[in-house]
Amino acid sequence: MSGQALQLSPSPLLASKTPPWRSKFIVAALALGFVGLAARAAYVQVIGNAFFQRQGEVRFARELPLPASRGRILDRNGLILASSVPAFGIWAIPEDVERDSAKLRKLAKLLGLPAAELNNKLADEDKTFVWLARQVDDATAREITQLGIKGVYQRQEYKRQYPEGEAIAHVVGFTDVEEKGIDGMELFFNQRLAGKPGSRRVIKDRLGRVVEDVGEAVPPQDGRDVQLSIDSKVQFFAYQRLRDAVKEHKARAGSVVVLDSQTGEVLALANYPSYQPGNRKNLSGENLRNRALTDTFEPGSTMKPFTVALALETNRVKPTTPIQTAPGKIQITGSTISDAHPHGVLTVEEIIQKSSNVGTVKLAMQMDRREMWEIFSQAGFGQRPQIEFKGAVPGRLRPYKSWRPVEQATMSYGYGLSASLFQMARSYTVWAHDGQIVPATLLRHAEPAVGVQVVSPKTAEAMRKMLHMAAGPGGTGAKAQTMGYSVGGKSGTAHKQVGKSYASNKYRSWFTGLAPIDKPRIVVAVMIDEPSNGQYYGGLVAAPVFSEVVQQTLRFMGVPPDQTVRPQIVAQTVEESF
Amino acid sequence: MIRLNLVLLLAVMLSAMYLVHTQYSSRRLVTEMHRAEAEARKLEVERESLEVERRSQATPARVQRLAREKLQMRSPNPATTQYVTYAGAVLPVHESVTKPPGASFAKAAQGSRPASGSGVAR
Repeated sequence: MSGQALQLSPSPLLASKTPPWRSKFIVAALALGFVGLAARAAYVQVIGNAFFQRQGEVRFARELPLPASRGRILDRNGLILASSVPAFGIWAIPEDVERDSAKLRKLAKLLGLPAAELNNKLADEDKTFVWLARQVDDATAREITQLGIKGVYQRQEYKRQYPEGEAIAHVVGFTDVEEKGIDGMELFFNQRLAGKPGSRRVIKDRLGRVVEDVGEAVPPQDGRDVQLSIDSKVQFFAYQRLRDAVKEHKARAGSVVVLDSQTGEVLALANYPSYQPGNRKNLSGENLRNRALTDTFEPGSTMKPFTVALALETNRVKPTTPIQTAPGKIQITGSTISDAHPHGVLTVEEIIQKSSNVGTVKLAMQMDRREMWEIFSQAGFGQRPQIEFKGAVPGRLRPYKSWRPVEQATMSYGYGLSASLFQMARSYTVWAHDGQIVPATLLRHAEPAVGVQVVSPKTAEAMRKMLHMAAGPGGTGAKAQTMGYSVGGKSGTAHKQVGKSYASNKYRSWFTGLAPIDKPRIVVAVMIDEPSNGQYYGGLVAAPVFSEVVQQTLRFMGVPPDQTVRPQIVAQTVEESF
Repeated sequence: MIRLNLVLLLAVMLSAMYLVHTQYSSRRLVTEMHRAEAEARKLEVERESLEVERRSQATPARVQRLAREKLQMRSPNPATTQYVTYAGAVLPVHESVTKPPGASFAKAAQGSRPASGSGVAR
């Protein structure tokens, strides 16, 4: 170390003696600095760890949703009634949008918007997100991509498709743009259909690319399919016939219900007017309403079988017991009840066949009001139907204690109480299912239903015979007959109630019946609201629809005809081939 | 001693490089897997929409319209139908079934609707 001898500087400052605390001070200061660092490290890594970890993650970790796909709605044969297909949501950042009026005009055309409306949407430059259109189909989205307008983006979403369209719109219902069920099955089974979306946490790099997963991903639970009891062929045919009948009779609306009387499954439930569930512009409540379940009316003559069945069940009468209905009028506590056409002496069977009010009232007046109330409520009147549909109405059946004699009389032939067409159809399973009323369902199930016994099998059989007569020659519903199959049923016609009184020129016509009569397989109910083309009797307006629906439904079900028919083809061959 | 340290240092370096490599490829593979999954989902969705499309081309409404208008077909009724059981026996639905029933019906069906016959054959 030769430096010791070196004279470094002549500076007197350096030559001066350094105080001994100075070096200590510096060491101490350095030590303090290290302690500070250690403390900071301890704070960052131990005490405030969670905070910093979170702040870090916020900057690179992202939660990515894993969408669950919505389940499908299928008919009884597995055909698709509703399913989700990909679509695109078009959105824009107004500030970034390139103002090229030619391109924007093209865009407006593709989106089906007036150009002014598009400009309106893009006008507010303060907004950072504007929906231009939702649920745009694939082809349109591709064309929009080709336009290449800056500031216009697309987002993948899903759209519900309803291949069967308006024929089954009221049953299936529809969803909103976020695929949330709004009506019908889509609403009732929304939870089951929707599934549960999953998620995964990932680390993303500066460019937004996923680098790696953090922790376990939650897999999405896809929505489950719902299989309905509806047969889309029966449904379509019933809808078509109903639509034609409503148009033919210049009616306001109509409904038809087809029930499998053995399993309680709803094979078809159609209303007209209907709507396209995929395109719901200009929709009104008229189109949306599932009338068969939500509209009630006085069941009229369709109720008579229940009154007569009660009389049979309690051994008050036999089917052949004669009842005097002349002169076609009867006085009940001052009110007159009359028949449309006066009859003389009718047997109990003929009372149903000819639909005699007087005869029914005479039977009803022998009975206790409580008995009548019981059989009516057991048949489902005044009870909310247990059905997979939100908004099914219970109708009205007042407690028997408040019935006055005249009301008991009118109720025996179906006035003073109300029911939906669906309730009426279901009540007729009593006759079709050997005296049991079967629980109705819109979901497919194969087993025969276990019903509640309302009347004995013997009474049900006797009633089937009477209903067969009513739909036969000399009955009120002769037009309900159909080739090859024996049918039975009851027609009904009523003046519509407007306010507190009945309108003289507004009618409602319906027909409820079953087929084939010996071993019933189906119950069909048809209602036409305000037919205004001359004819208005249920037997003339609704019965022909019943006839054709029965014919086609039994054919689709593979039920062999139980009546002999004269083969037409042989005769036609002779005409046409020679 | 120094030589051993150098060897160990080299080993550590190599191992570190290898670790970086595996991590990189694992990330790459994960990304690829997700891309494949997304692709699978996309294809699944496409299959679904094609199925819906197929279904909407085969709705009863369309089938009926085409059958009526293009093929001049019409709906059968029990009078123009011969019912058979699984065993092959003919159900007696018709009042006067001429014998042999099969032959006469087949002929009848052929003869009565030449338009629909040719339509089906196409």
